[in-house]
Amino acid sequence: MFSSLMLVSLLMLTLPIMSSIFNTYKNSTFPHHVKNTISYAFITSLIPTMMFIHSGQETIISNWHWMTMQTLKLSLSFKLDYFSMIFVPVALFVTWSIMEFSLWYMHSDPYITRFFKYLLTFLITMMILVTANNLFQLFIGWEGVGIMSFLLIGWWYGRTDANTAALQAILYNRIGDIGFIMAMAWFLFNTNTWDLQQIFMLDPNLTNLPLLGLLLAATGKSAQFGLHPWLPSAMEGPTPVSALLHSSTMVVAGVFLLIRFHPLMENNKTIQSLTLCLGAITTLFTAICALTQNDIKKIIAFSTSSQLGLMIVTIGINQPYLAFLHICTHAFFKAMLFMCSGSIIHSLNDEQDIRKMGGLFNAMPFTTTSLIIGSLALTGIPFLTGFYSKDLIIETANTSYTNAWALLMTLIATSLTAAYSTRIIFFALLGQPRFLPLTSINENNPFLINSIKRLLIGSIFAGFFISNNIYPTTVPEMTMPTYMKLTALAVTILGFTLALELSLMTHNLKLEHSTSVFKFSNLLGYYPTIMHRLPPLANLSMSQKSASLLLDSIWLENILPKSISQFQMKTSILISTQKGQIKLYFLSFLITLTLSMLLFNLHE
Amino acid sequence: MLKIIIPTIMLMPLTWLSKKNMIWINTTTYSLLISLISLSLLNQPSNNSLNFSLMFFSDPLSAPLLVLTTWLLPLMLMASQHHLSKEPLTRKKLYITMLTMLQTFLIMTFTATELISFYILFEATLVPTLIIITRWGNQTERLNAGLYFLFYTLMGSLPLLVALISIQNLTGSLNFLLIQYWNQALPDSWSNIFLWLACMMAFMVKMPLYGLHLWLPKAHVEAPIAGSMVLAAILLKLGGYGMLRITTMLNPQTSFMAYPFLMLSLWGMIMTSSICLRQTDLKSLIAYSSVSHMALVIVAVLIQTPWSYMGATALMIAHGLTSSMLFCLANSNYERTHSRTMILARGLQTLLPLMAAWWLLASLTNLALPPSINLIGELFVVMSSFSWSNITIILMGANITITALYSLYMLITTQRGKYTHHINSIKPSFTRENALMALHMTPLLLLSLNPKIILGFTY
Repeated sequence: MFSSLMLVSLLMLTLPIMSSIFNTYKNSTFPHHVKNTISYAFITSLIPTMMFIHSGQETIISNWHWMTMQTLKLSLSFKLDYFSMIFVPVALFVTWSIMEFSLWYMHSDPYITRFFKYLLTFLITMMILVTANNLFQLFIGWEGVGIMSFLLIGWWYGRTDANTAALQAILYNRIGDIGFIMAMAWFLFNTNTWDLQQIFMLDPNLTNLPLLGLLLAATGKSAQFGLHPWLPSAMEGPTPVSALLHSSTMVVAGVFLLIRFHPLMENNKTIQSLTLCLGAITTLFTAICALTQNDIKKIIAFSTSSQLGLMIVTIGINQPYLAFLHICTHAFFKAMLFMCSGSIIHSLNDEQDIRKMGGLFNAMPFTTTSLIIGSLALTGIPFLTGFYSKDLIIETANTSYTNAWALLMTLIATSLTAAYSTRIIFFALLGQPRFLPLTSINENNPFLINSIKRLLIGSIFAGFFISNNIYPTTVPEMTMPTYMKLTALAVTILGFTLALELSLMTHNLKLEHSTSVFKFSNLLGYYPTIMHRLPPLANLSMSQKSASLLLDSIWLENILPKSISQFQMKTSILISTQKGQIKLYFLSFLITLTLSMLLFNLHE
Repeated sequence: MLKIIIPTIMLMPLTWLSKKNMIWINTTTYSLLISLISLSLLNQPSNNSLNFSLMFFSDPLSAPLLVLTTWLLPLMLMASQHHLSKEPLTRKKLYITMLTMLQTFLIMTFTATELISFYILFEATLVPTLIIITRWGNQTERLNAGLYFLFYTLMGSLPLLVALISIQNLTGSLNFLLIQYWNQALPDSWSNIFLWLACMMAFMVKMPLYGLHLWLPKAHVEAPIAGSMVLAAILLKLGGYGMLRITTMLNPQTSFMAYPFLMLSLWGMIMTSSICLRQTDLKSLIAYSSVSHMALVIVAVLIQTPWSYMGATALMIAHGLTSSMLFCLANSNYERTHSRTMILARGLQTLLPLMAAWWLLASLTNLALPPSINLIGELFVVMSSFSWSNITIILMGANITITALYSLYMLITTQRGKYTHHINSIKPSFTRENALMALHMTPLLLLSLNPKIILGFTY
């Protein structure tokens, strides 16, 4: 009952894809059909989740034996444990809202059915990823979400920027995939299995290499420092794509992978501190980048990246369950923030610059409300959704024996979260309107209102429900000094007030010369400037000049074919030229004849 | 086996006796029927071979390649129709005859029991291919390409003849079925090193090994579509097949002789992939991508573990279908824009959306998206090379990344972006072309359901 209902809700998702075989998808109801299917799948998946919360029974089901090679058996198997059971309904709920939002956002797109099919395919691959019980199946989902993100980022394929961003996403993800493949190879080599439970049961020693591989994979997929630039670039895609892929589902896949592998990770201190530092750098760096951006979607993208860094920090302090809680709560408000920004962008005729907004609280009261609540939830204001995970994470980090530097970075990033959230609110919503006066603003579409409303309720209550209903897995720190309890709140309030004061103070000031700090933040720490110029240039000129021209067209051509033909040509010219020296020719003929005669006669 | 070979030979009279409007449909249908007959060979009940006669046999290693060969003839015929539409009837018939002849030779090569008949047929395949390239290629460079093609492969394979004669003297038999029971190690001597080189170089040139690959991009670029298809899909696999067969008797030598070739392949894999990043010529890009994929096969064969053999076989089949499909797609672009330059075909997605879907699928299989059989092949090769030496993962990983990059670069340049004005009035895609792509794609997708049939010996 438990597992079959879960499978039913997963299988349900494939029905609209299947139906495209029979011409039904061509009519205009296909998007609605997809949306309804997802809502049914969500409701169906609630039943097994409830049963799971009630009984705490984890299951692994193996369905279809795919193949056996030597000692490795590969089958289609699903792991219905704590993580997948909680994440599936959350992801379905968020996707349901986003699909409804897309009905409004993409209504004028001629290929809206294809868009929905892509979104649905993405959702299916994501479900494969979270429920997979063996590494190969996980890899199918892992690559699947990557490719679907390529297709969805490049949705407006006529635009060069969209294509570049799509390619960039694939490139960074592929670098991460090297790590994944290495981990797969290592596990195959050392544990002779790809099944998760068998790997954990064998508990191999010296796990530095595979865990480094998995960390690299997570770095690529979850846009951690070093492989982060694709996430802000991915904002070239349509806003529903950003809301679904680049905030709530795909980008958390890396964190999810590390959570899946925590049984190995919790014994490896080296990898843990590496993870901690990586997360801390990411969360601070991307928060700094977010501070000075003017594109509303970019700010939210950087804030996503920063929150992903926070999740990685949580894994670094060995609290995978908290990281998972943050994934779930983050999905609600971050998807909603993207949808609110989509609503604003759509209403202002595709204007994304927050400097050209302002005063929207009059024109778009509902979007304003949602955006503010989302931002507050993001900063972890008490009793909104974000509070239940974020506050817990920072408290745990505060009270654990951990790297003080990483902790400090995280705290600063937390404070900056409040600062850039203030900036969005201040510039986009408050003050005087700065957009064109003839813009027709209308947010009274039921698709828009309902979808945001659903996530709005989620952003207020979901954290409470989730954290109250799941059984405690690790005992949280119950006692701590008051100042530690209040640290998270204090830094957040500090961020809010500072940002507000600074914004008010500098509102009418003109920036004469950009300071170097401003440049650093605005140009994303010079990272894209350097990394997207030098290595590709070096690489491409290497392939052109050395691989293609020098080696292929010159050396390899000259060494074998050309030199041989040259040699033949030279010798044949040398030999075959008639010079009329008939005596010499006869002489050589005579010598040959005599020699052969001698040889034949004297042969024994 | 004769029930496949004789019908294939009979395709030639069929071609010549067919009426003018029936030559394509007749030959395509009958060759498709032949390929359906050959499908039964995929059912290999045991891990031993199916012996049909003294001359022919098939086992799990050769059966997938054989089926791929028979499968490809109807596809080549379908792909060539437009290209030959302006030719006189006799030449069309001659062209089909050449393809059929090549097919016959290939079938016999893959099923030959004796190494020497394998060798003769291996060489015989050169003749029709050469005629196809030099006679029906599009530009004058085709003659040069034909020269390169012929001389590289001939030079590589002549020492093999000598080596085979010497092996015949040594063992008294060149039978594949007997050789695998001949487990006597070759003595460690200079002459045996040369024996190893002579045996392997023929196939390495055919694969092609990096450094000896120059003939391949030239031949691929200049050949007509059917030539490119059969080159990429099957002729390169002859090399892999031969290596897999012959390494069994080169036993202790391979363990140390393999190093330079492994290094060259690993290095060449990166180099050729990087070349792909800078190609403007679509067919040349696909040709270099073939070199890079075949380097993986060479690595896998030289590592000599069961996993790597499985990976090599799977990768050969997967690459055969994928690269052939890419060549067909490139050809369909060429027939519309009359240029192989990628940038001239940009934005085609707007005009030919279904073709764009085929492009997408082909690019995705080329970059080995799971769970396609390309991934299974590549993954097995990566696994076995990782267990051979951990640091190869860096090169393999770099290659995986670059492969993804150039595949998608190809996709983006030809399909995405704004379309140019000179392609405003192009023909829509024909049902024939869509059927052609579907016939490439369906086996790829279906095989991922049960990859075991193309894994060769699963031990």
